Amino acid sequence: MNVKELPITRPGIVPLLVLVQAVVLLPLWFYIPAWISAVTIALLLGKYFMHRHGAKAPRWILLIVVLLCVGGVFWQFKTLNGRDAGIGLITLMYAFKLLEARSYRDASLILFISFFIVVTAFFYSEAIWMGLYLLAAILMILLGLVALNSPKGVEGVGRIGKISGVTLLQAIPIMVLLFLFFPRSSAPLWSMPSDTQAGSGIDDTMNPGSIGALRTFDDIAFRVDFEGDVPPRSEMYWRGLVLSEFDGFTWFKEQHSPIRQELELPMTPTYEYRIQMEPNNRNWIFGLEDLAEAPNGAYLFSDFTWNRRRQTTQRFIYSAQAYEIDFSQRPLTEFQLNRYLQLPDNSNEDTREWSVEQRQNHQTDEGFIRWVLSYIHQGQFYYTLTPPVIEVDSVDGFWLDSKQGYCEHYAGAFVYIMRAAGIPARVVTGYQGAEYNPYGDYYIVRQSDAHAWTEVWLEGEGWRRIDPTAAIHPSRVEEDLRSDASSRDGWMEEFGSDTGFEAPQGFLNNLALRWDALQSFWSETVMGYSRDMQFGWLRKLGIERHQYRYLGYGLLATILLAGFIFGYLVLRSTQRLEPVTKYYLLLLKKLRDHGIDCDRTMGPRDVLQLTRATSQKVYSRAAPALKTYIAMRYQNEQLDSEAVKRFRQQVSRV
Amino acid sequence: MLGILVLILIASTNYQNNMGFMTGFILLAVGFLSVFYTFRNLKGIEVRCQKSGAVFATQDAVVRVQLVNNTKSQRLGVGVGLAKKSVIYLDVDEQAKSEGVIYLSTERRGLLDVPRIACTTMFPFGIFEAWSWVRTPYQILVYPKPLPCPEPLIASSSGIEEGQTREKGSEDFQSLRDYQAGDPIKQVMWKAYARERGLYSKEFEDYVGEHHTLTWDSVAHYDKELAISYLTDAVLAAEDSQNVYGLELPQQTIAKGQGAEHLHSCLKALALM
Repeated sequence: MNVKELPITRPGIVPLLVLVQAVVLLPLWFYIPAWISAVTIALLLGKYFMHRHGAKAPRWILLIVVLLCVGGVFWQFKTLNGRDAGIGLITLMYAFKLLEARSYRDASLILFISFFIVVTAFFYSEAIWMGLYLLAAILMILLGLVALNSPKGVEGVGRIGKISGVTLLQAIPIMVLLFLFFPRSSAPLWSMPSDTQAGSGIDDTMNPGSIGALRTFDDIAFRVDFEGDVPPRSEMYWRGLVLSEFDGFTWFKEQHSPIRQELELPMTPTYEYRIQMEPNNRNWIFGLEDLAEAPNGAYLFSDFTWNRRRQTTQRFIYSAQAYEIDFSQRPLTEFQLNRYLQLPDNSNEDTREWSVEQRQNHQTDEGFIRWVLSYIHQGQFYYTLTPPVIEVDSVDGFWLDSKQGYCEHYAGAFVYIMRAAGIPARVVTGYQGAEYNPYGDYYIVRQSDAHAWTEVWLEGEGWRRIDPTAAIHPSRVEEDLRSDASSRDGWMEEFGSDTGFEAPQGFLNNLALRWDALQSFWSETVMGYSRDMQFGWLRKLGIERHQYRYLGYGLLATILLAGFIFGYLVLRSTQRLEPVTKYYLLLLKKLRDHGIDCDRTMGPRDVLQLTRATSQKVYSRAAPALKTYIAMRYQNEQLDSEAVKRFRQQVSRV
Repeated sequence: MLGILVLILIASTNYQNNMGFMTGFILLAVGFLSVFYTFRNLKGIEVRCQKSGAVFATQDAVVRVQLVNNTKSQRLGVGVGLAKKSVIYLDVDEQAKSEGVIYLSTERRGLLDVPRIACTTMFPFGIFEAWSWVRTPYQILVYPKPLPCPEPLIASSSGIEEGQTREKGSEDFQSLRDYQAGDPIKQVMWKAYARERGLYSKEFEDYVGEHHTLTWDSVAHYDKELAISYLTDAVLAAEDSQNVYGLELPQQTIAKGQGAEHLHSCLKALALM
């Protein structure tokens, strides 16, 4: 019999395989279509019960079910290509394979494929608990392999558990070294299939209601890690998109914004930071105002927004700087002027008239802006997340009638009024504020921090940020939004508000922050480990980016080092001789030193005779030891530690 | 395994999935470690062999293989056999012994060298195989295969009663029963044993005091191997019927005698002819 012929009908093997598959598939069941999950569960249960009752599924039935399932996957995804369809198909085939598994080879294949199935689950989630689950799943697979290769199968779970557990523990340091050294590619090998998963986040259009929906999400949008100076939270405006096109109801991102020309930048950036962005399936990324230098794979537009070439479908980490840029010598071009003054005809006529009228009462643009803000502050404007629905002419409806709304209502109306008064203005969307995490020393920006504000162009100064929402009087902010509004809005200082809300700092909140710090470390340092980071720490070791070969050396060194360490650890113990044998060999050596021509191939009785024949003197000293040895080895003498000790003493007297 | 590993690493690279890399690297590390573990599973095991007694040609010879584990860890799934592909699996606990039996098919009479014994393992993960060949100094004596001769072979009967045939003698005991431990070896029906019909004891016997000398001359006109087989059969028959018999071969003459020892020397002489 060959190991390859070990039957998988040995007790415990099939149930263990079922269990391994269940453990491996468990995370996927939450992500793949429910019917695929149901079919795989049914197949696993089916295999288990058929095994218990010694039944076998007829092949033709299997074939029909397989075909039905393939058809189902095609019907579900309209393709058999791509990530989701592929994973659906592979999980089904994986479950079917167990159903028809009969030989060692089948079982072994299933167990190795299990490693691959484990990986597919990570396309859906890279959370920290998945990392822990990974270890558990791999332990299960190893357990299956050990059981499959033991003639007695699962008998003695403790024994095979120990072997697989120890191996896994030893594999982890090697994995870490390989993880650090293994050469990474910065770009995918083939273009990734487009992702159908919906992400949440800021959209490239804004109409009444779009950001409001986000305000209820506590999901994390991104985390920020400042190097050096940190701006006050009220100044943290995370710029995402500039919306400058308006159709009377909805604000749009301009379609073909030119890529920014090189600007002369001050020597040192105002702020430097790293952003770890959660996937949002959008092209844009966020940063503080006055951005410079696009991160890898992104480009910067003249309106200071960034776009990536690919959508952010996976966590994306980038470094950025904010600069203060002097616009005083850089007037707007004719083209820009037109763009930022553009208003649709035949809509919101009342607000337009109102604006033109009011502008005439003020001498300067700046004076007019101040007046509009104080108009918001003193007028009956309310901040609420549940404003009345406005059907058409969103600005008129809000500014002149309901006066209830949130950031995008205010930002939209404010830009409209500015443009109507002849001041170039634009809407900016992104996030405002952040929560500080003292345990990880970084800031968390959540979807609920989504915000819209405005920028107006002032001659001789350039773009100035104006947040009209911040001008609402605190007493007219909805009760449950106050703490929220207070943390974000600059008017607290500007208008001398006395509301003074404190952020909740309870035990649970601390715990949540600690957990987030751990998650941040996991996603930034572990999951975000990339070629750039690899070269980053190699550079600290004095190895430059172009010296690729050092990665190879590192890899080789890892393997050799691990080889030596494990060779020593694993093989060392077996070198030791059993004590009795050791002393006997010592005895023989002593006899040889006395001129007795003996070696290990001679039996002890022959050695005894030879000694007697050669030297009576040596014989008298060696005989007790030899006799004890014969007694211990061949005469069922009790071989306890006492006897071994006596033997050692007898040997030492020779 | 290698295929799966490459697949995982390619997929991980493509999707920039660090968790995938981790899985791949753990798999790689396990493969790497299994080199040592598989090797260790065999290392330090002492292999002891015990050959069986003589067998008749075409019967299986039995070699008892004992694995002695003097180390401090268990050795599981160690296969011993004549070829790497056909082994029996033994588990050996630490400081313990485990025994298995290897059957050696025989074809021809004579001395059979016990072939080298494969000692192999794929434990614990079935990724690598470690093996070692163990040579034994043993030879197994293979007796010729007995074949009944078409003609009676009583050549020179220094008999007591003329006409008393071999057939008669063998009919004197009718009852056979299964061999039981402790039965005198004389009562064993060797002929049946040689034919692989199992061990039988003769219930009781008449002492049939025939004296035969089986000679080579009586079968010399047959093919040599056939002749040897006929003589073997005759020797076994003589022993079975409690006759006193001798053997005259071209190079060797065995004086008349009876009993297991005598039978063995006759069969050995025939085997080594």
